[in-house]
Amino acid sequence: MSEGGVQYSKIAEIKGPLVVVDDVSNAAFDELVEIETNEGERRLGKVLEVGNGKAIVQVFEGTTGLSISGTNAKFVGKMMEMPVSKELLGRVFDGLGRPKDGLPDPIADKFVDINGEPMNPEQREYPKDFIQTGVSVIDGTMTLIRGQKLPIFSGSGMSHNLLAAQIARQASVVGTQDDFAVVFAAIGVQYSEAEYFRRSLEESGALKRSVLFLNTADDPAIERIITPRVALTVAEYLAFELGMHVLVILTDMTNYAEALREISAAREEVPGRKGYPGYLYTDLSTIYERAGKLNGRKGSVTQVPILSMPSDDITHPIPDLTGYITEGQIVLGRDLFRQGVYPPVNILMSLSRLMKDGIGEGSTRADHGEVSNQIYDAYSRAQEVRALAGIVGKAGLTEIDLKYMDVGDAFENEFLTQATDENRTIEETLGIMWKIVSKLPKNEITKIKDKYVDQYYKEK
Amino acid sequence: MASNSSLENTIDKILNHTESNILSSLDSALSESRQKLDDSVSTLEQEYDQIISNGRKEADKIEKQIIGSSDLKARNKQLTTVEESIDKVFAKALDEIANADRSGDYSNLIKSLLDESTKNLGTNEVIVFTNSKDKDIVQSNLSQYPGAEFSSETIDCLGGVKVKSKDGAMTFDNTLDAKIQRLKPLIRKDITTQFGVGN
Repeated sequence: MSEGGVQYSKIAEIKGPLVVVDDVSNAAFDELVEIETNEGERRLGKVLEVGNGKAIVQVFEGTTGLSISGTNAKFVGKMMEMPVSKELLGRVFDGLGRPKDGLPDPIADKFVDINGEPMNPEQREYPKDFIQTGVSVIDGTMTLIRGQKLPIFSGSGMSHNLLAAQIARQASVVGTQDDFAVVFAAIGVQYSEAEYFRRSLEESGALKRSVLFLNTADDPAIERIITPRVALTVAEYLAFELGMHVLVILTDMTNYAEALREISAAREEVPGRKGYPGYLYTDLSTIYERAGKLNGRKGSVTQVPILSMPSDDITHPIPDLTGYITEGQIVLGRDLFRQGVYPPVNILMSLSRLMKDGIGEGSTRADHGEVSNQIYDAYSRAQEVRALAGIVGKAGLTEIDLKYMDVGDAFENEFLTQATDENRTIEETLGIMWKIVSKLPKNEITKIKDKYVDQYYKEK
Repeated sequence: MASNSSLENTIDKILNHTESNILSSLDSALSESRQKLDDSVSTLEQEYDQIISNGRKEADKIEKQIIGSSDLKARNKQLTTVEESIDKVFAKALDEIANADRSGDYSNLIKSLLDESTKNLGTNEVIVFTNSKDKDIVQSNLSQYPGAEFSSETIDCLGGVKVKSKDGAMTFDNTLDAKIQRLKPLIRKDITTQFGVGN
């Protein structure tokens, strides 16, 4: 890459979010570009392709109002960087990492390339420590582990943003004095949602330990490509340089993929499934794989990406490819949402693959894994019984079937249902789980050791 | 008479039976009430504990809110104050640069700026712009760059040069203003370190 700073004024073409600059020498792939309009307005972009004296520049803030004559492109000579320091905590930025809270630019300890450095697989440490979200269904049955990437698959209009904000407010690491921080990236959300996230963190006092990146729906779509990357750059700095445990919430990754599709279409690339580029999997992995723990480093980066599945279709390319990369998923169910259950998590379709290593004695409680398995089993049976009751009627059910139906109802009303400001400790969550399990006769409890049944089973 | 006494006996038996029934009902009602009372004591205790625990949670929440928001307010105030001071330092520095003596090493600075600019543009076929103060120094240095032309049009800057290729396709802004702008984020950090604030 050249030292940078040369400004080119031969704009050959403006095509969608792309600007083609002619007679360019020494430009580098991914190099940051400042586009200056006739009126002196500056926009940022990056080099997507170079060769034959041309450079294709993707303009983050869109090309609306740009004309071929009078537009200049200054190649800055470096990749896009994010200023990082501990001072970012408590700040609100836009999707490109510029202050949105009326305060000055942060004073940086250093400037870090937003593309991050790949984690050396050899250096990765297996995640095995529990993060308490205060949401029973997550802590109890699909526990989030430090360094894990656990997406939430939702659908349009469902309460994923409420859940995201609740996790951001309540999440904490238990049993350690290590610092904890939340990096929250809202990608293409409505203004009201962005405002809700900001206000919700501010009013709960959680903003102090959070960094917010807000890219609203009316911001140029192309900015959405950058938002998760600046957020993760900050998270990596806080985790691996300052030793904090960082939870990154990215909502909504579907909007990110849409932006990627827009650029791909403008570049006239061969489309893959549903018009998304063939490299969607690779591109998503460059985001999701930035979670983890490193040997010899104190901190961790945990990711909770949220994506809304178009038409609630779990086979859609975005959830499908996300599922290949991440370590489990939390699926929100439309039926539960319609019943008014919050959070409407369908536990039968959800799973945390790393849960088994982060729970139990020394982490949560010795009986956690077994009571969780029993709850899964009982709720699954309750669903079968409900289906049966739909055919033969309640009168045709056996006494034990009726008990399972009772368990199913209690599970949804007492365990799953939780107020948006209700922060349950893991002890409280396990207590509710035992209360529900105890609705079954002891001989139906087959997944829990007798000693735990003797200790926690609630006799009537 | 005999029938009267047997009737009385029967009535007595019924009365005794009823009395024992009533007494046993009263006993069971009493024990049931005691049981309910005992049960409600533990329920009450649980509810009492629940109320206390909810109260503590709420108090913790409010404490966090108050501490969090006041910490942020104080920090934001500090940021604003530091930024105002940085602006003052910059304004003073820019003023000093603008009025700096153009003799001595300044000519070497202009030469290095011209070197850097032609190197970045990859050609000496350039037009060089500067402000009215640096006009003479730039012009005297240009003899070392065959193909370079001096523009009579002056630009508004603190000092330094702006170099444009003759075909107009490339420009390199190497004015002191542009240099300061590029280095500003790093200089800000240095200034705050001098103030003893920041990280």
